[in-house]
Amino acid sequence: MPDGAPASYEAAVERLEEIIDRLDSGQAGLRETLDLCKEGKGLVDYCAGELDAVGEGLKELNLDDLAAKLDSSAGPGA
Amino acid sequence: MDEPQISLGAPARPGPDLPGPFAVGRYANKLKDWMRERPRVLLIGEVTGVGRSKVQAYFELRDGDGAVPCAIWLNDLERAGLPEGALRDGAEVVIAGGLDYYPGGGAASANFCFRATHVRLAGEGDLMARLEALRTQLRGEGLFELQKQLARPVLPKTIGVVTAEGGAARRDLLAGLGRRGWGGTVVWAFAPVQDRHAAPKIARALQDLAARPEVEAIVVTRGGGSLADLWAFCDETLCRTVAMLRVPVISAVGHERDSTLIDDVAAASCSTPTHAAEAAVPLDCGVARAEVRRQALALRRGADGAIAARARHLGALARGPARALQRQRTFLNQKTREIRAASERGIAERAATQRRIAGLVLERARRRALGQVERATDEGRRHGAALDTAADRALAQRREALHNAAVALRAHDPERTLERGYALAETPDGEPLTSADAATAAGRFSLRFRDGRLEARTAGDDDA
Repeated sequence: MPDGAPASYEAAVERLEEIIDRLDSGQAGLRETLDLCKEGKGLVDYCAGELDAVGEGLKELNLDDLAAKLDSSAGPGA
Repeated sequence: MDEPQISLGAPARPGPDLPGPFAVGRYANKLKDWMRERPRVLLIGEVTGVGRSKVQAYFELRDGDGAVPCAIWLNDLERAGLPEGALRDGAEVVIAGGLDYYPGGGAASANFCFRATHVRLAGEGDLMARLEALRTQLRGEGLFELQKQLARPVLPKTIGVVTAEGGAARRDLLAGLGRRGWGGTVVWAFAPVQDRHAAPKIARALQDLAARPEVEAIVVTRGGGSLADLWAFCDETLCRTVAMLRVPVISAVGHERDSTLIDDVAAASCSTPTHAAEAAVPLDCGVARAEVRRQALALRRGADGAIAARARHLGALARGPARALQRQRTFLNQKTREIRAASERGIAERAATQRRIAGLVLERARRRALGQVERATDEGRRHGAALDTAADRALAQRREALHNAAVALRAHDPERTLERGYALAETPDGEPLTSADAATAAGRFSLRFRDGRLEARTAGDDDA
């Protein structure tokens, strides 16, 4: 994932596994190793961020309440 | 064909070639008879718009494709023995009967209906048969595949849930999400999950949830029940709605043995709300957190390890050239010593060789000189002999040449000419006269023949 954010959590994990396999193989040159480590760190941060987003306790919303809120904010004078 | 067309602004007469016109009352009674002769059949469908008069109950029997107005005499209805209030809106029933037509007359309106003589609530078998027919139809239209082609995120942040507000399914689903270690947002859309109003409301709730951009997956769930209880989830319109949603729907309706049509069209179907939670959040967040920590460690190890290993390697490489240089220097010294030794040995050998060569050359020269002396002596002898031979040969040659010259001289000797009969004219002094003028000038001359001389004088000399 050299440029931009990963497409999804699973894409990030898949790439991360590739990177670690490559590093474990011991065949990557120094430049490649450093690049892979940098990319991998970005992916780890992304994955950790995604997990943090669903790690702060379950929130419950009601669709009817959301719809009502939407209606009032769309009402006249809003 | 050639009937003149009369046009006074009024429409042309319809169907001028049809039989009739007949009296309508007679036609209506014939129609009643014709309808009543139609074969009797069984119909199955959902009851709607139930009403009663003094003598009969009437309702519509319908399904997704159409409806038929029905009526049953109250005494036939009583004989059917349905539970109290069973013939109500939303009930799935099977009726037996045939077509009927009331021709009306006087002030009464004409009326068409399916006259039921028997009615019973639809059983599992009837529902299964209808379900299978619907299933075949929707599968044939490819509606089972649409949801399954949607990408399901492994870690949605927001999921929508359609269920009954007070149901056990709600509690089970929350427990399942908790076990996943998932603490995202659940948007509840509560809807009735049984009776004839359920299906449209569930469909509406699904559409509303799918319209919210943050909702990444939707769970539809309710507890177990009979197929009739779950029948709302076999509703054709609801199932078509699910098939067309942009958000993957996970169904968990009834228990394991129950199979509703919504299970077929959904992206995934589960036997319990707990399983639905796992399907909605495929990633076990607790495991994933541990995994990310492990990967972060592996990366750090990878980076540090690669650098340390390379540093060691680099160190080894850095020592390498000095060692190689030392090796080369030792090698060079060794070679130098060898070369020196070899050259000293070489000089002595060369001197000896040169001495040997000089000896050989001198010997060869001495022998050559001796040979020359001998050869010269032999040649001297050979030359002496040759000279003798040559002198003899030259003498002989000269003798021969002399002889030849003598022969040639003799051949030219005038004396020889005289011998062959010629005469030679000479002056008295013996000088040959070689022309007439010379003879005339001499006057007197002599002719010498082989055998003697005669004196002669030219004729002019006598006159003088």
